[in-house]
Amino acid sequence: MENSITRTSSITRKRKLKKPVETIMNVIFLICGLAAVVSVILISLYMVFSGAPAIAKIGPLKFLAGQIWNPEVNDFGILPLILSSVTATGLAILIAVPAALCAAIFLTHIAKKRVATVLLFLVELLAGIPSVVYGLLGAILIVPLVFKAQTALGMPMSGSLLSASIVLVIMILPTIISVSVASINTVPKQYNDVSLALGSSKMQSIMRAIIPAAKSGIVSGIVLGVGRAIGETMAVMMVAGNAPIMPELLKPARLLTVGISMEWAYSSGLHRDALYGIGLVLFVFIMIINILLSSILKKGNNTGNK
Amino acid sequence: MKSMKKVLSIALLLAFALTIFAACTKSDTDKDSATLSGTVKTGGSTSVEKVMTALIYQFQGENQKVSVNYEMNGSGDGIKNTISGLYEIGHSSRELKTDGSEDGLTATAYAIDGIAIVVNKENGVTELTTEQVKDIYTGTIKNWSEVGGKDALITVVTREASSGTRSAFAEIVGLEKADKPETSIVANATTCDSTGAIQTTVSQNANAIGYMSFSDVDTAKVKTLGYNGVGCSEATLKDGSYTLKRDFYLITKTGATLSPAAKAFMDFVLGKDGQKIVASNKLLTIE
Repeated sequence: MENSITRTSSITRKRKLKKPVETIMNVIFLICGLAAVVSVILISLYMVFSGAPAIAKIGPLKFLAGQIWNPEVNDFGILPLILSSVTATGLAILIAVPAALCAAIFLTHIAKKRVATVLLFLVELLAGIPSVVYGLLGAILIVPLVFKAQTALGMPMSGSLLSASIVLVIMILPTIISVSVASINTVPKQYNDVSLALGSSKMQSIMRAIIPAAKSGIVSGIVLGVGRAIGETMAVMMVAGNAPIMPELLKPARLLTVGISMEWAYSSGLHRDALYGIGLVLFVFIMIINILLSSILKKGNNTGNK
Repeated sequence: MKSMKKVLSIALLLAFALTIFAACTKSDTDKDSATLSGTVKTGGSTSVEKVMTALIYQFQGENQKVSVNYEMNGSGDGIKNTISGLYEIGHSSRELKTDGSEDGLTATAYAIDGIAIVVNKENGVTELTTEQVKDIYTGTIKNWSEVGGKDALITVVTREASSGTRSAFAEIVGLEKADKPETSIVANATTCDSTGAIQTTVSQNANAIGYMSFSDVDTAKVKTLGYNGVGCSEATLKDGSYTLKRDFYLITKTGATLSPAAKAFMDFVLGKDGQKIVASNKLLTIE
């Protein structure tokens, strides 16, 4: 408070200058704010206008529920792509979320300060690695491992849905961990103290008091992770084998993103429009996932607490 | 001190802005553009896109008043529209049909693109016949032991649906279904979106088979297979004994007189400068 009083005098001295500066800054902030909103709207409109005609022309049911993708004869069914994307992302989240949560708890409440700082730095480093590097690692380390499983089961060696999921797990782990750590750290220390004072063990107070309080932050981490997993293209393309068939764990699979990028270069006419259609589906997908996850999980949290 | 910093930062910003604009200055290539002028209408094959775009770019640079159109709509349309007179020159990456439907046309080859069948270096198989390749790609042959290799399941590697190499390969091997552009390549084949990706995939998978442009083959990574008893090499491609290849053609009406601009373009493509561009696009030149 005292500080602000001393500052007021300097402000009154420069009031004449401050006023226009303030308005200008206001306008600049307004423009920046609008830029984000406008680009979201423009992207939405663009996706709908370029994707919808193709879907209408092919027929929404034939497009979304068709099981054969063969542009050579105008078969544009993307059900295998949708299911592959869902399976790969779902599998990745199923493995990554518990692992990331445990890691976050370890980093915030169990590990010693110095260890935690180093580990957190490494995790954040991991989050910044370009996806193509993950793809390379996947192709060199994970795919050959899956080859062995395929050979053992009498299947041809190839890139597979499983390899793609494993790569995705590694890719989204750091995102979920660092967001979760940040949100756990914002939980007031009193929660822990009160819980301990009431006689709960350390683990009980982490699980029952701190994690629920940090839930909304953790959920945003999961949403970010899902977004990254479902939108990932390069790394997945390098390990998934990319055949447009129904998803099976040890067989090649083509995800929605790969479906677009793979055929973009040489496509034309209805084929290219259909790729826009896939883009629209992917876009709607991510919207739905974001809205569902954040609303359901956050709401559940609130009612549970009250 | 503070104002100095401000002035400095503004000056830097200005300098940066100027460098951006500097890149936009006109390049003056007011060379003597001779007497040639007009528009040459061409169109057809998409497989020749890379080399043809480079050829047209160079030709238009040398003849500023000539513009060469190039509609990319496939070899079939290129030939059809040359018959109808819409194009003066059609582009084709396949030979003319001999069933009478494409009579009265002349196909002039200007480049050879070989398609190599590649396998992992550990693979013991050294050659395949057309029938065997066809059976592997349609899924009839599933194990390398059926074609003289070790007992291991074959991983079929192919290109994505709209690839020119894929359609040429399918056409030559006979994988196309009757009267349809559809290929009967097995649906669960591992799909790669570039020649490089094919090579990498095959080099990392001991049981894989793929096909790719011969000019891009790196023998340190993959092994090329003989096709119908003929090894895949520059020599066998040039003498014509290796048949898994395609020529790139310029299609014109037999006996018709071309416009001076069109004639100049053909001469350019077949001449020394054009062939240099063909070679730089990793294709074999016509000699």
